[in-house]
Parts: sequence; C-alpha cells; structure tokens
Amino acid sequence: MTTLIVIDQAPYGLWAGREALDMAFSLATFDQPVSLLFTGAGVNWLRKGQTPDAIEQKSVERNLSAAPVFGIEQLLADEASCQRYGLSPDELIDGANMARGSSGLLASYTNVIFSN
Amino acid sequence: MKLPMSQIHTLHILNKTPEHPRFNECLAMMGPDDALVLTENGVTALWSTSKAALPKVFATKADLQARGLVAEANGATSVDYPELVDLTVQAKRVISW
Repeated sequence: MTTLIVIDQAPYGLWAGREALDMAFSLATFDQPVSLLFTGAGVNWLRKGQTPDAIEQKSVERNLSAAPVFGIEQLLADEASCQRYGLSPDELIDGANMARGSSGLLASYTNVIFSN
Repeated sequence: MKLPMSQIHTLHILNKTPEHPRFNECLAMMGPDDALVLTENGVTALWSTSKAALPKVFATKADLQARGLVAEANGATSVDYPELVDLTVQAKRVISW
C-alpha cells in the first residue's frame, strides 16, 4: 500500500500545500511508504534559498531536505512545471529529483492524494 | 530607491500563480502605460512574465525572499511595502486581482 501526495499549490501563499506536507510526514512516521510529487506552482516548494521570515512563516526547506530521514521515500518535481517556473535541477533542494510525465507516475501508487 | 515618477495609468496587483484563470485575464488587460505588481504567490510567475513583453513589472521583496526568488534576474524590480504604497498613489487607478 503506497501513497503519493501531490502538491500543486505554491508555497507560503496558501495553507493547503503545508497541510499536505504535514500529512506526508505523519504517514512516514507511521512507516507508511509515502512519496511526494510537486507539480504546477507546487514545484516552487523545492527551490533553494527560501527565507520567509519577513512574511512570518517557517521555511520548509529544512524538513524537505531531511525528508529521507523522516522516511519519505521520494521527493519528485514535475519536469514540465519546473521549466515553466524557470527552476533548473541545481536550484532544487537536495534530495529532490525531476520526474517526467506525472500521469504514468500516479498509476504506480495505490493511493494518490492531491493537496486540496 | 526613488521610483520613476512617470505616470502609471492602471496599477495591476496580482497575487495569483499562472495556473489561476485571473492571471491571464490580468495580463490581457494591461495597457502600455500600466504597471504590474506581483505579490504573494504571484511572484512565482516572474519567469513567465519575463517572457511576456510587459511595460513595467514590480514584485514585493518579502514574498520574493520567502520563495528564494530574485526580481532583477527576471527583468522585474523588487519593491518593499512603502514603495508599493508609492506605486498605488502614482497610479490613476488600481486593480487588485
């Protein structure tokens, strides 16, 4: 039973993305195999150098780059979305990998959950 | 940083990402004497607005920093909140999308 959580909302402007991240981390802490796919504006969660202090929010960069430690299997970024947002592979947070074509990817998980 | 005092006809304040329908509606409505300010999630669109031939594009500094983005790298000018207020005063009218 493998779960893929898909985040397509941009970071910090809405809460939906952050709630989905919390869900992924809690699934992982209960040893449920879970992976994360960032697509659309969601790929912006994976850009290095986030400093959200001026908007009084906590950066997610640290827990995202520690995702493997928390037991999250894969941190995937939709390649087409990365191009649309001018995000090159070396600007991605460590541990995040480009994935091509999310439709085939979705099929390989028993549970797929989109952040609302 | 003293902003250019050239007259702004309409100031468009946009906090949507390119996926949101209102994003393209805003860009389509922009006239030659208009200016665009990207705020909140709107700053993630810097890459696509740098491709569209837009007259004047600004982006709010705090939102850029939060998301690890640099305005000047994409042909836009970063502004802090007081400068944003200056822009709204300069403009004849303001649309908050």
